[in-house]
Amino acid sequence: MSEALLKVDSLSKSFNGVHALADFSCRLQRSEILGLIGPNGAGKTTLFNIVTGFVTPERGKVSMKSNNITGLAPHRLANHGIARTFQDLRLIRQLSVLDNVLLSFRDQPGEKLGNVFFRSKKSREHEKRNCQEAIRLLAGAGIAEKAGDPAENLSYGQQKLLSLVCCLAAKAEVLLLDEPVAGIAPEMKEKILGMIRDLPAKGKSVILIEHDLDAVMQTCDRLVFMDAGSEVSEGAPQEVRNDPKVIEAYID
Amino acid sequence: MEYLLHILILIGIYVILSTSLNLIVGYTGLLSIAHAAFYGIGAYIAALMALKLHSPFLVNLICAIILSALFGALVGIPSLRIRDDYFVIATFAFQVITFSVLNNWVSFTGGPMGLPGIPQPVIWGLEISSPIGFLILVGIFCTLTLWVTRRIVQSPFGRVLKAVREDEVFAQAAGKNVAAYKVLVFVIGAGMAAVAGAIYAHYISFIDPTSFTVMESIFIISIVIIGGSGSLWGPVVGAVVLVVLPELLRFIGLPSAVAANLRQIIYGGLLVAFMMWRPQGFLGEYAFQGKETRE
Amino acid sequence: MSLIAQLLIYGVLAAAIFSLVAVGFYLIFSIVRFFHFAHAAVFTCGAYSVFLLNARCGLPLFFAILVAVVLCSLLGCAMYLAVYRPLRRKGTSSLILLLASLGLYAVFQNLISLAFGDDTKTIRTGAVTEGMNLLGARITSIQVTIVCFSIALVVGVWIFLKRTKIGMVMRAVADDLELARVSGIDSDRIILWTFAISSALAGIAGILVAFDTDMTPTMGLNVLLMGVVAVIIGGSGSIPGVALGALFLGLAQHLGVWGISSQWQDAIAFIILLAFLLVRPEGVLGKRVTKATV
Repeated sequence: MSEALLKVDSLSKSFNGVHALADFSCRLQRSEILGLIGPNGAGKTTLFNIVTGFVTPERGKVSMKSNNITGLAPHRLANHGIARTFQDLRLIRQLSVLDNVLLSFRDQPGEKLGNVFFRSKKSREHEKRNCQEAIRLLAGAGIAEKAGDPAENLSYGQQKLLSLVCCLAAKAEVLLLDEPVAGIAPEMKEKILGMIRDLPAKGKSVILIEHDLDAVMQTCDRLVFMDAGSEVSEGAPQEVRNDPKVIEAYID
Repeated sequence: MEYLLHILILIGIYVILSTSLNLIVGYTGLLSIAHAAFYGIGAYIAALMALKLHSPFLVNLICAIILSALFGALVGIPSLRIRDDYFVIATFAFQVITFSVLNNWVSFTGGPMGLPGIPQPVIWGLEISSPIGFLILVGIFCTLTLWVTRRIVQSPFGRVLKAVREDEVFAQAAGKNVAAYKVLVFVIGAGMAAVAGAIYAHYISFIDPTSFTVMESIFIISIVIIGGSGSLWGPVVGAVVLVVLPELLRFIGLPSAVAANLRQIIYGGLLVAFMMWRPQGFLGEYAFQGKETRE
Repeated sequence: MSLIAQLLIYGVLAAAIFSLVAVGFYLIFSIVRFFHFAHAAVFTCGAYSVFLLNARCGLPLFFAILVAVVLCSLLGCAMYLAVYRPLRRKGTSSLILLLASLGLYAVFQNLISLAFGDDTKTIRTGAVTEGMNLLGARITSIQVTIVCFSIALVVGVWIFLKRTKIGMVMRAVADDLELARVSGIDSDRIILWTFAISSALAGIAGILVAFDTDMTPTMGLNVLLMGVVAVIIGGSGSIPGVALGALFLGLAQHLGVWGISSQWQDAIAFIILLAFLLVRPEGVLGKRVTKATV
């Protein structure tokens, strides 16, 4: 059993007296797609928020490659090899599609104030390389021709695709995707799921929150079913789906 | 002719002020009513050093920039913790506190009497005393300010600022230390405003706290908004319009007290009008967004 | 001993004025969700309207005051109808409304300057009296009136919000705009009521101040800023909170300058404000104002 890439141990968090997470633990292996399913309010997005540093847990630990990363600031975690999308689809709509992708690259010298004026040649070259990489990623996603358009001009589905491309630009090892295919047309859904399925082969691991069970069954290697902040069931997709506890939770 | 030069110099000073505020407000989305405080600090530091230490202009200028920039960092820090509307109030607070200090710390700043007799600046042996001389000085610094701003906004650093403007959470998730950017932009903006202050102090050769009030901050923000926030040339257009327009009143032969009131009515009225009909200003692409309040 | 008593009295007096302005500002903020800085101009308008009607037009003082208060209410409502409502209809953010209110303030303050001049005007009649003795300190009858009026009005507004139908609807809108609208409440009417009441309070405050210390066109901004401080430190959650904030501010300002010159009052007020914003943004009694998270 290889060492898990990302480990979450006994996380607990309440908001206004409601337990969003109750002693929740979970592992993410390398090159694995883990699906996180469960009813609304089960704590899935809270888990993402804690792992990415936007929320501090009351108890528990998050570690990545054996380093304790609990409670670090979001931007530091983002530079630690973690990238995420948001349930409410966050993008910088006023900027171009290309700019959104460029923004998502980490460790850009041009982002340091000093380098804007000194060593600008190095920044420019780095930016140029990022630009080429960004176009390549956008082409891989099939939206390269939209590169110059403001992100707000894209359709909803294309915007979701763009947020996935932004995660790829981050060159993150761990991708946390919050409902990446919710509310979009079947074609686009398939395209995005296909891209997600390709990620383990590139050495990336994914935790996927989705309500679409078919999508989850096709895409994930393993599932965790959550309800009321705790894990109800865990295992291969078929196992979890047929688990009587899961069926019961859905009926409730 | 001299009058024309005077107007151009004023425009130059306000271009520096509005461009620097535009970095904070227009590009990073942080509404601040504290800019006159940075302007005032720059003016007073430069004037005091010239009067008490007789040190060269460039040295005074650098000190003014540094001190104002430090104060800018102080003003920027609350933005990390406080929501937009309340942060505006915090900037009001800094503005009023600064005015209070300038007005009441009589032994240091001369209080309401101000600082008269500020000597002409001497740069590398060259004394600047004529209007043409000041115009060139202002022109150089204007160009420098615009150039620095352009470099910043067209760089990846500037891209992060625009991201922070629209969605801080996205920026953080993309690995950007949003807090650092916010404080830095205040540091830069304050430093640039200090330059305008130093030039103003030497040009008018007398400064008092009444030039650095809340109303002045509102004037500068009006220039930014009306000219076009988030655009490089917007503040220039705004400065030209808002400096020239009230001056035209003089030609109608109004007494200067009346003209002063009318000037404020004009920019207050323009601010309201632009907010209602063209919030992005003349040239801007960005009108304050964020939380909406639909009826 | 009497110095402390005097400072206490000044502090309470200041608190009385601040609370009138603060309550109105708070109502507008909690129901219409933005900072209405032009409230400062309404305050000034109250004083100058009385001056215009009484000293210039010869209307008896009592009627002049009544008409002036009504005029202030109308002014506030006019600002809403002409500027704020169209902006809100377009869904603009509270920052744009704030900027518009700053512009409105500049316009109206200068209109008053143009019409009446920048010099101090007065509506006081009779000699300046020494005032009565209270706990070893002096207080004039007008000052007593100010404090009593303020208490009465603030309590009155509080009762209005708790007991009357309109008051309860206002609180509903303040708590949850969406829910209120969905339940069919005519938010326009409620907002107009809010502006009317708040502006009347501001106008009354302006008139009271004018009776105590005369008037200048710029008198409003400072008082308003103090009112804003009171709202924030008291906790933008309730009328008692605002009143408490005003009291704390008034006392802190006057007792705080004991030993230092009173010119530093403003600075002290704003340093207190900054401290609250940074350390306890929700104020003494109120709700959170820190940044939204994910």
